[in-house]
Amino acid sequence: MPVLIVGAGPVGLSLAALLAHHGIRSLVLETDASWCEGSRAICIARRSLEILGWVGADRPLIAKGLPWIGGRSFFRDTEVLCFEMPSEPAERFAPMINIQQYYVEQHAHAAALRMGGVEVCWSTRAQAIHPRTAAVDVDVQTADGSTGTVRAEWLIACDGGRSTVREQLGLEFQGTQYDGRYVIVDIEQDTRCKVERLAWFDPPSNPGSTILMHRQPDNIWRIDYQLSDHDDPAAAVRPENVLPRVQAHLDMIGETAPWKPLWISIYNAKCLTLPSYRTGRVLFAGDAAHLVPIFGVRGLNSGLDDAGNLAWKLALVLQGRAHESLLDSYSIERVRAARENIAFGAKSTEFMAPPHHGFALMRAAALRLALVSPGVRSLINPRQTSPVEYSDSPLNQTDVPGDFAGGARPGGPAPEAKLLGLEGPGHLTALFGTGFVVLYFSDDPHLPAAWQPLAESPASGAASLRLVRVASRGAPDERSVVDALGQAWQRYDAQEGTAYLVRPDGYVMGRWRRSAAQSANIVRALKRALGAEP
Amino acid sequence: MSPEHIELTYTALAQCLARVGETKAPLLLATLALDLLSQLDDAGAALEHIQRAERLANM
Repeated sequence: MPVLIVGAGPVGLSLAALLAHHGIRSLVLETDASWCEGSRAICIARRSLEILGWVGADRPLIAKGLPWIGGRSFFRDTEVLCFEMPSEPAERFAPMINIQQYYVEQHAHAAALRMGGVEVCWSTRAQAIHPRTAAVDVDVQTADGSTGTVRAEWLIACDGGRSTVREQLGLEFQGTQYDGRYVIVDIEQDTRCKVERLAWFDPPSNPGSTILMHRQPDNIWRIDYQLSDHDDPAAAVRPENVLPRVQAHLDMIGETAPWKPLWISIYNAKCLTLPSYRTGRVLFAGDAAHLVPIFGVRGLNSGLDDAGNLAWKLALVLQGRAHESLLDSYSIERVRAARENIAFGAKSTEFMAPPHHGFALMRAAALRLALVSPGVRSLINPRQTSPVEYSDSPLNQTDVPGDFAGGARPGGPAPEAKLLGLEGPGHLTALFGTGFVVLYFSDDPHLPAAWQPLAESPASGAASLRLVRVASRGAPDERSVVDALGQAWQRYDAQEGTAYLVRPDGYVMGRWRRSAAQSANIVRALKRALGAEP
Repeated sequence: MSPEHIELTYTALAQCLARVGETKAPLLLATLALDLLSQLDDAGAALEHIQRAERLANM
């Protein structure tokens, strides 16, 4: 088997689908009998929808999910913050949708099966991991007790925070855990509330506590509330202790329809990561690789970014088109992302669950000052997830000094723009997800002669190179899109002849101002990324 | 002050409070407040800040 994925959670199933999209077969093992119970991660960010869109799993999630762009925070019963995430009319995806994790798993699974070459074995446990020189052997046990060994060229651990693979290899998380605990409750209740992130500090319904609320599809509310230091965690999740607190809050906000609890769990913030996500032929993704606080919704979203980063690289290595050192860039880039997510998550946690009296006192002061001083309100902002820039990635091609004043730097996510293509109005990011893309900004429909080799890339899949001319006017054709609104030219700091090389995962790898003279550099950049040239 | 600098200041003061301990926190904050208030132009402005802080603390 080329790839064995341990864990059929949202990251494992998405990775299987993404690999299948690149023509790579995989076997997925899952201890549980099916998709998860309880809604668990519920906020899916725009970037995650982009990644799921590469395998067509975005449509059903958007059809079911509840989109939102901002939120409000209250101190007691007074609003102290109203925030919005970046959003514009006719955008491809809302900045965030709320949807239960089991739907993400269901649709990622369906996408994987649709692509073909994916087998998911439920109720199957990976018991022991034996790394070999050019393979990994995994002892497995199925639900009926039968055992066997699976040999895979590559093993991807997507088996969550308590990863068996991580434990088997003797690898340990680094970082810190916070003591502050939150109870997480899902309830079913009819509501017409606007979809937004709602937070209350010291609300009259639960004095001294902090409460978060999110709507989910199927008339479900997610309610998180903070426990005090003297609450017993085991007792705190018993319905007789949970239901009165929820009722008091629903009464306070005027949600009077009958309701019932669906799922109760408890949570404390963790800022943990492995120092490297590659150990020989074993790679780690999602919670098996890192655990970040829930505040800012960076958990599942960063796991999906792991899958989006890894799939094309692993495909290129397995297809013999890239040296396996390309996989080291996966670890470098995603460890950096985890560290940034942890830094933001720690900041949010210090506000949402103050770890000591210093932060508790400062929060009490900041919330009061926020009533009268707008300047401090940014302290309350939940710092929602956004794509991380891989500024130190070995794949980045250094800019020619002075060439660009703005735009998207190498290592950054390629910006979105509304464009006109042959199929009508569309979005620039829809070009990404399969192979490399060269965006060539020019109003001259005749390509420079030096570009012909680029325009006729014989490779397919992740190794392919697609040349797309971004014109500022005129009509679209097979190889050209039109940036009538000027968004792309502005966001890419483009001039006539500017070119961007974009990776299959939608990240900028390099850019050139006078690209016609530099087509050889673009080809060289590509070869260097694939490890075919030093 | 930019949001980034407010956040840095907030975190630095929170960690400073933790270092001196709860007993000495009022002394530290009084010292800090007097230091900052003495840099204002006149007592009138300082008194406004003091009254506002008192009102917010008594909420």
